Amino acid sequence: MLTAQQLNSDFESKTEGEIKKLLSWSAIEDADVERIASIASVSEDFSDAVIQKFYDHILSFEEAADMFASESTLERVKRGQKEYFRQLTAGVYDQKYFAERKRIGQIHETAGIGPALYIGAYAFYLNQVGLELLERVGSPEEAFRLHLSLLKLAHLDMALALQTYVEARETTIEAQQREMSELPTPVLQVKAGLLLVPVVGTLDSHRARSLTIALLESIQSMRARVLVLDITGVSAVDSMVANHLLQTMTAARLMGAHSIITGISPTVAEALVKIGVDATSLNTFGDLERGFEEAERIMSAHREE
Amino acid sequence: MADLRSSLRVTIARDADVVAARQRGRAVAAEVGLSRPDQALLATAISELARNVVNYAGRGEALIEAVSQVGRRGVLVTVSDNGPGIDNIEAALSDGFSTGGSLGLGLPGARRIVDEFDIESKPGEGVRVRILKWA
Amino acid sequence: MPETPILAHSGVLIASIQSALSDSEILSLRSQLLARISHKSVRGVVIDVSALDVLDSFATRTLNELASGARLRGAQTVVVGIQPDVALSMVLLGLTLRDAETALDLDAALGLLESAAGRRDG
Repeated sequence: MLTAQQLNSDFESKTEGEIKKLLSWSAIEDADVERIASIASVSEDFSDAVIQKFYDHILSFEEAADMFASESTLERVKRGQKEYFRQLTAGVYDQKYFAERKRIGQIHETAGIGPALYIGAYAFYLNQVGLELLERVGSPEEAFRLHLSLLKLAHLDMALALQTYVEARETTIEAQQREMSELPTPVLQVKAGLLLVPVVGTLDSHRARSLTIALLESIQSMRARVLVLDITGVSAVDSMVANHLLQTMTAARLMGAHSIITGISPTVAEALVKIGVDATSLNTFGDLERGFEEAERIMSAHREE
Repeated sequence: MADLRSSLRVTIARDADVVAARQRGRAVAAEVGLSRPDQALLATAISELARNVVNYAGRGEALIEAVSQVGRRGVLVTVSDNGPGIDNIEAALSDGFSTGGSLGLGLPGARRIVDEFDIESKPGEGVRVRILKWA
Repeated sequence: MPETPILAHSGVLIASIQSALSDSEILSLRSQLLARISHKSVRGVVIDVSALDVLDSFATRTLNELASGARLRGAQTVVVGIQPDVALSMVLLGLTLRDAETALDLDAALGLLESAAGRRDG
């Protein structure tokens, strides 16, 4: 899972050109930026009032009140809001600005504030700003133009926040899919002393290691003498995976169990030969049936007296 | 996060101390939360390093420390002596050095099974090896 | 530290290591076993290492030396009870028991020695 910091630096790596493109896509022109920057000093005067109304509104809802239960949390987010308003009206919309928007989006996502709540709250906020502008800025026309410019920027902010939501959701889904592919491999006892391990999915280094440990522990707890590793369900075997299989077999041997590998597809076999893995060291036997025959042979050889 | 850093010093002078050093190391590793296989790996690495002290320097010590860094914990073991030192560290770290004979220092093996490894030695001034394994 | 008991049972010496051994204790166990093989008709040696949580390069080398020494005297060595995490550490360290057989436990080791004897005599 990506951390907020990584996401942040990802975004910071966006080129200046890309940021220009984003600004022009939202039709944010120099005139807009100048207009917004011109109220920077005035905005200092009314930002406290807007923020106060904003939180009065939000806190009238139970779930939000729970979220800001402690006085210190509330103070902290209020300070954050004031800083946001300062940045919004500072007239500097660079990489740092957009990275910060992205970070805020990430925080909202983590806190479980969905897009509907986020945009709804944003609308209330912009409404309050508009009313303040009407009161404080020269003519209504001037105030309206100013508000239009702010709206462009606000929508760009919201767009970035939504993008963060989508990305975070994708990361979550990816992680879940990864988890699914990493479902623990079952170790089946076919009969006393004989274990079957159907290995399915992709074996990365981490998973291969935990598979090795699980297998070795099963040998001990299930008193296994032969282990059949069926890799029919393994999509690809590279030298790393082959090496892990070899390590597992060698460790199993130290514990007193023999290992047999079955289900190597022709493509996997070809790949193994290409990377120079000695097939005999893997002790392979075509399909499961042949593997079981060999397992029986080993077990009876040891039982004869 | 609190800087959790407890430490334990084991004198190494006889071969029974080799056993003591690796057992202490394993106990700290278990406390810190290393998996059982990782505990075994750390104990084995300590065993190799402590034996070198007994065999080549006669006397030294192992300092076993629980360390923590943002979000993770680990065990840092420093094995040091004031013995004759190692002339050619590169050779001592290469796998071929121990081939066949009983002179192997177990250094390449120990390095392979820990997360971080560093060695300092000057001829005549002893050896200091530091190994670290993360939970 | 308790001495490692060595039992003799129908031509098989069984040594059960009780707790962690120092290098000199391992060497002494090796000498004792080799000495007993020489003046008895011993066909097998079983060493139970399940109490050991570390088998490092020295211990592995000593077990290999014991196994090849025993073989010269006509006895087969079986190491039993290597723990899962110990087995993995050995593999990652590149340590192998080339001269000894391995088995899960004492029963399996005795069965192994029986079937080897059967093959030889039959």
